Amino acid sequence: MMDLLEGAPIQLQAWFLGLLRSFGTPEWILAVLSALIIIGTIIGVFLVLFALTSVLERKILARAQNRYGPNRVGPFGLFQPVADGIKMITKEDLVPRTADKVVHFLAPVVMLIPALLVLAILPYGRGMVPAEMDSGILFFFAVGAGTEVAVFMAGWASNNKYSVLGAMRAIAQMISYELPLVISAIITAMVAGSLSPSAIVAAQGGFAFGFVPQWFVLTPWGFTAGLVFYIAALAEANRSPFDLPEGESELVAGHLTEYSGFKYATFFMAEYIGMFAICGMFVTLFLGGWQAPVPALTIIPSWCWFLGKICFVAFTMVWVRATLPRLRIDHMLAFAWKFLLPMGFAAFLSAACWHYAGRGPAAWILSLAIIGIPYLLLGNSFTNRFAVSRRTYQFSE
Amino acid sequence: MMCAFFNTVCADPLKFLGNWFVVLPAIVLLLAAGASVVARNLIHAALFLTLSFIALGVVFIALGAEFVGLVQLLVYVGAVAMVIVFAILLTHPAQLEKSRTPFSGLGPAGGAAVGFAVLAVLLAFIFASPLGKKPLPPSAAAPVAAIGEALMGDYVVALIALGVLLTAALVGAAVLAMDDKKP
Repeated sequence: MMDLLEGAPIQLQAWFLGLLRSFGTPEWILAVLSALIIIGTIIGVFLVLFALTSVLERKILARAQNRYGPNRVGPFGLFQPVADGIKMITKEDLVPRTADKVVHFLAPVVMLIPALLVLAILPYGRGMVPAEMDSGILFFFAVGAGTEVAVFMAGWASNNKYSVLGAMRAIAQMISYELPLVISAIITAMVAGSLSPSAIVAAQGGFAFGFVPQWFVLTPWGFTAGLVFYIAALAEANRSPFDLPEGESELVAGHLTEYSGFKYATFFMAEYIGMFAICGMFVTLFLGGWQAPVPALTIIPSWCWFLGKICFVAFTMVWVRATLPRLRIDHMLAFAWKFLLPMGFAAFLSAACWHYAGRGPAAWILSLAIIGIPYLLLGNSFTNRFAVSRRTYQFSE
Repeated sequence: MMCAFFNTVCADPLKFLGNWFVVLPAIVLLLAAGASVVARNLIHAALFLTLSFIALGVVFIALGAEFVGLVQLLVYVGAVAMVIVFAILLTHPAQLEKSRTPFSGLGPAGGAAVGFAVLAVLLAFIFASPLGKKPLPPSAAAPVAAIGEALMGDYVVALIALGVLLTAALVGAAVLAMDDKKP
């Protein structure tokens, strides 16, 4: 029964193609169709996830702030995305008179393309990679670089000073946080000995002592690199507490200021799908991809585990948004360059030593030391600079 | 004539398309590069240049050089294009008028001459290289691991030299951006 579910998506596709083949459909149509089925399924799944998240995020934020959240449309407010969609489509599409019309129109499209393309290299389950690439990790970051171009196009074409300032901030943030992001991803590739996501997932398979999963996040260097990746992913996805490119109080809405209606919805969708993609990358690199956490639970299909882990990571991102206030721009950039990047290098060194010390108990102690000493030094330098002293009020007493 | 063409397309359209996966991005590459030269608006020129970077990456990938194509996208679209855009945005138009390099007086003809001189040098080296004279290895697409081993083995000196060069450039940029010391 469970074996049946495990291969269900692939079996269904094979069955459908076999049915068409029995009607005498030419081979090349089948080849195109089989690709289209995969693309359609992935886009469909992520659009449903996006719609669900747009309402669940508001529900979770409401729960964190002790209020109800959307609860008018449908049961528990679950049809809220439908109402939002209708509203977005019927809204007037405003284009500023002095805007660069063509670039203004192209920006949301350019934004959506990389967000959808990077979904192609994620291993969704055992043997379920839409595009098996030798250098899949590189593809993820290379295509993701297109987002910066889109943000710049949106900001500049709007011909609005808030838009340009927001776009400059967003690009500065993306470039700064891309370094720790890529370095922490490279560490896993180094230990697994391959840039292919499915090989990295395979390297995290199996259980130590029969029950402890061998996920990278459960090693000292992997935990550090995972945290660095997670924080940098928050910044790359423009999520709170790094959402200051659209800081309402100073920049209106950053590069999105002059967008309305469906173009705004496209940006919104691209941001959320990009968030899911980077959550998927985090799961693949550090949380063992589609592997089950304990041997007894391997009966649950691998793709369920992958989707479940993505949803869990996305949930923690909403949780962070409900908890932390927004950073100031200089603090944010200093944090990337002066803390995350050195910690990324420390994890890099630690992983190399861990590997060459034989991955045994001695390797654990060595890699812990290599992580711990820079962490204490860097942490001290930060806390001393932003020392919190007792606040005294001049006129209060 | 038309019918024969139609038959070759229908016999195996994916194979037929295989060539077009190289030719179409190459056409886009040439058009975008040309447009970036003639565009009046500097930002449009930069965006066309970015498009040509992307098209070049796609050409590499379609030719089987997956790693080179992806690095092209990562470095040129992710970094170089953004640096160009920032340079344009941070330069005041008045500064452009004032800044005259020793080559400013040459005009479009001088620019074209320099361009063709660079092209001639490149072509001389391309024709002098053993590429195309030796038979290609059986698999044109080198796996990433082989490229990594070559970079870390035979070409490690070149790799480190490039790293030192880039670090020097980074330090130089930081020195330029630092505040002047009070005398």
